[in-house]
Amino acid sequence: MIEKVQALIAEALQVSIEQIPPELAFGGIKQWDSMGHMGIMLLLEERFGVPIDADIIGALTSVKAICEYLAKHEPVSSEETGS
Amino acid sequence: MTEQLKITPAIAIPEHLAGEVQSKLAYVDEAILQARVAADGITLELRETPTDARRSELEDKVQRVVALMVQGAFRPKVQILEDHLDRPVPYTADPNPGLLERGEMFQEANGVYTVGPLVTRLIAFFEREFVRLADSFSAAPYRFPTLIPARYLERVNYFRAFPHSLTFVTHLREDIDAIDDFAQHAACDEHGLTTPPGSFAKFQTLLSPAVCYHLYFSLADKPLPDGQLAATAVGNCFRYESINLASLERMWNFTMREVIFVGAKDFVLQNRETGRERMRGFFEQIGLAYRVESANDPFFIGEFKKQAAFQSAFQLKFEIRAALPFKQGTLAVGSYNYHQDFFGRSLNITLPDGSPVHTGCIAFGLERMAFAFLAQYGLDVTKWPEMVRKGVAGSG
Repeated sequence: MIEKVQALIAEALQVSIEQIPPELAFGGIKQWDSMGHMGIMLLLEERFGVPIDADIIGALTSVKAICEYLAKHEPVSSEETGS
Repeated sequence: MTEQLKITPAIAIPEHLAGEVQSKLAYVDEAILQARVAADGITLELRETPTDARRSELEDKVQRVVALMVQGAFRPKVQILEDHLDRPVPYTADPNPGLLERGEMFQEANGVYTVGPLVTRLIAFFEREFVRLADSFSAAPYRFPTLIPARYLERVNYFRAFPHSLTFVTHLREDIDAIDDFAQHAACDEHGLTTPPGSFAKFQTLLSPAVCYHLYFSLADKPLPDGQLAATAVGNCFRYESINLASLERMWNFTMREVIFVGAKDFVLQNRETGRERMRGFFEQIGLAYRVESANDPFFIGEFKKQAAFQSAFQLKFEIRAALPFKQGTLAVGSYNYHQDFFGRSLNITLPDGSPVHTGCIAFGLERMAFAFLAQYGLDVTKWPEMVRKGVAGSG
């Protein structure tokens, strides 16, 4: 799971995956600013199909928090379902 | 002769976005005189009857704006911190006719107003109270210029976030021929000033859209002395709002008093909250009907969706919305703002530990404050709450 999340964050922020260590949080690199954060949220919604609302946007501010949220919501990606 | 154009949006506009979309339609095309978003669709009032091609072009532009703002938008979290909208107020009529009739409001241009003695005294009364709030934080007084360098605004991403509301400043080029040409041929008509081509120099400055930016720029690229700062200033601010400009409610050129906090996160957030509590007492004393609720800044179309959702999620902005009984609506007269470390990062302002500072401000629109009060209490001073009556009696 964590590798998938790291890859998604790297894609949203347009940086290499090496710049997304497991302990990274909002503001940890300059690309993860307000706009970068919203890019991550949009991509999360699109790829994992999980519901994203204002509370979630304010809570998912680290790699760890995103992983925990996805684990809890048992996401099924579009690739896994073949759709 | 005006003409109406009805458009059914390809994507349904949720109720919570109707106002935002409607305000942005002002910037879609110069032909639009008025725009309304309702459950049955979008209605545009146009300056003239459009050709079929123009009609199609306008519809495409509107659909584009709706798609950009609505598609994938997150529903904001509405948080109400205070609700005193049910506070009884004695006046329910529109104060605008009375203000015009008494010479208390005079329009110089769209969004540009002169106000008369009574409104000026009322504004001075509110100003004293806002300065009292600043003093309660021992805020250092500042005076900031009305012009702001373009390169400063670029550094804080203002051109991307709010391009529609910018007001530019220029001067004639230092060229004797250009100056002579201008002097001989410049002329005004009902559309504005017509000038010879090539008269103006490149824009180096704009009219300032906010007060607190000047403080942040003065602190840029160095550590913050003492690690924290409370400051205050009043200034002319400029936000062009096209056809949305209206009376003292929505001016192009308005006055704002700000109390500004720079420092660690807790310092900024605690002071923002303390300021709100102190203002609650004042608003109660003057009997203002209002609510404090979460809000977002009027970001431009492309940036709106993400930025507004971010502000909502992190509770960065709360507006003081005063009741306007004659409209059965509310008007934002001030706001409590937290910018996280956005300015600290963008402008390289650091705390003693090297991390970027956090910033926040409490801002009051002075003309709006006076207008909202007049909308609730009318222009007859004898019917005003005692504190305000006394406050205007001794000034000016």
